[in-house]
Amino acid sequence: MTSFIEGVGMVKVERHYEKGLFDLAAEAAFSAIDQAGGASGIDYIIASNALGEVQDEQLDLGGYLASELGLRGVRSLRVEAGEASGLAALAIANSLIESNMADRVLVVGVEKVTEFQSAKVYRHLQMLFNSNSRSFYNAGFAADAGLLTRVYLDTYDVDRELLSYWPALMHSNAKENPYAMLNFALKPDKVSKSQVMADPVTLLDTFPLGDGAAALVLSSKDSVNNPLAKVSAIESATGLGSMELSDDPLTIDSLTEAYRRLQNVTSFESVDVIELHDSFTIMGILTLETLGLAPKGKAPELIANGAFSINGRGPVVNPSGGLKARGHPIGATGVYQAAEVALQVAGRFPGLQVRGAKRGLAISMNGLGSNSYVALIEGVE
Amino acid sequence: MSMDLSISRHWRLRSPLYRLEGARCKACGRVHFPPKKACPYCGSRELEPVELPKRGRLISYTIVYAVPEGAREYSPVYVGLVDLGVTKVVAELTDVTDTSKLKRGLEVEAVLRRTRVDGEAGLIYYALKFRPSMGVPDV
Repeated sequence: MTSFIEGVGMVKVERHYEKGLFDLAAEAAFSAIDQAGGASGIDYIIASNALGEVQDEQLDLGGYLASELGLRGVRSLRVEAGEASGLAALAIANSLIESNMADRVLVVGVEKVTEFQSAKVYRHLQMLFNSNSRSFYNAGFAADAGLLTRVYLDTYDVDRELLSYWPALMHSNAKENPYAMLNFALKPDKVSKSQVMADPVTLLDTFPLGDGAAALVLSSKDSVNNPLAKVSAIESATGLGSMELSDDPLTIDSLTEAYRRLQNVTSFESVDVIELHDSFTIMGILTLETLGLAPKGKAPELIANGAFSINGRGPVVNPSGGLKARGHPIGATGVYQAAEVALQVAGRFPGLQVRGAKRGLAISMNGLGSNSYVALIEGVE
Repeated sequence: MSMDLSISRHWRLRSPLYRLEGARCKACGRVHFPPKKACPYCGSRELEPVELPKRGRLISYTIVYAVPEGAREYSPVYVGLVDLGVTKVVAELTDVTDTSKLKRGLEVEAVLRRTRVDGEAGLIYYALKFRPSMGVPDV
């Protein structure tokens, strides 16, 4: 069974010092609600957020969001799955509709990551990994990406410079996206020269710290008036999420399983557009290779030669600019991805529009894949 | 800086942190670290504690400059993915005087070292880190 996306709203990803959690959530939510024709009939709010407790000292964000948005009484819940919170929220919203427990659900992803100095945020982000294995070392949140990138370069004998075409492509796409945080072009040779986060991963390989909010109204077939797109299927799986536990760290185990589950519930030949989880360059590369869109060890070369770009071979990947350049407001990101794919298949994306896009995937995961979500979003006639 | 690392959490993990104690699954034989309540590979709850070897080889390493709050004085922090034969661990590397020595295959050994100091609360935290092998690991 399918659910329909009726309205979407997004806030430009930015260091919004002047906006708090509720300010951001309202901006996105009101936009989505107005586009969907009003709040009447909204049965549920599903909020996604990962750091609300530690950044803004707020628990039960779902509960308080209802009154803050003028929806007192509406059932509400906050969903958290680290970086995958946004698509997890969409999955819950979709299942409420599929099971006839709700006719209309407001999905709101919101995150503040700029309430403190970066070093404190790095400590917060370290929580995305297994705390028993990471809390007591001073590794920070980028160490795993550093270790993984080096394994990749060694295993496939790839030059570090070849990886730099990924951030360059992301920036090239984001340039057109009014909601992107880093909407400026970037030359590949700048990437390896930028500030080192965790060698060989640099600042320009890493998602920027930015606040944001995205929202959408999800409706059942009987309640929908003017759908933008439909959520045909959404699936997920958990995984080891750990390099040290994995026999094959260059394959994201949970993504393989989530994608396999998706293919069991729906059929599709190929997709036109994919918004995927490039928290770091290496995660974008490994996602393409895990899904079989690129042979192992070959994704960087393909990207460097123009594949997956708006004019290149294969589905267009991250026309929004991805996590690297559109930005990554942690718990909100998945909702941005869903909104972007919905707008793509409706022919209404305000940035780089994939001509004739009919089918798209949104892919989100936490850390190295402790949890992975894949959503198939398609156009409506 | 006020205490923000829980003493009780650190104390609960003293066997993994000070002795590299992991778990071996009696059903499938696989070892993992740090110990979970069930085997992450086959799901069995039949686990027994096992102390991991204190010597291994570096599979990968990274040099971290984006260190978290409270660790600025330790920057850069060296982190390694170490193959201990029965399983792998990710841990801080220490005594790195020559970074050109860091490469895949380097023999490393576990030594007990400070990870951080919480001056205000008067706490000193320790864990096993790995250094380029000198033939004398901390047992």
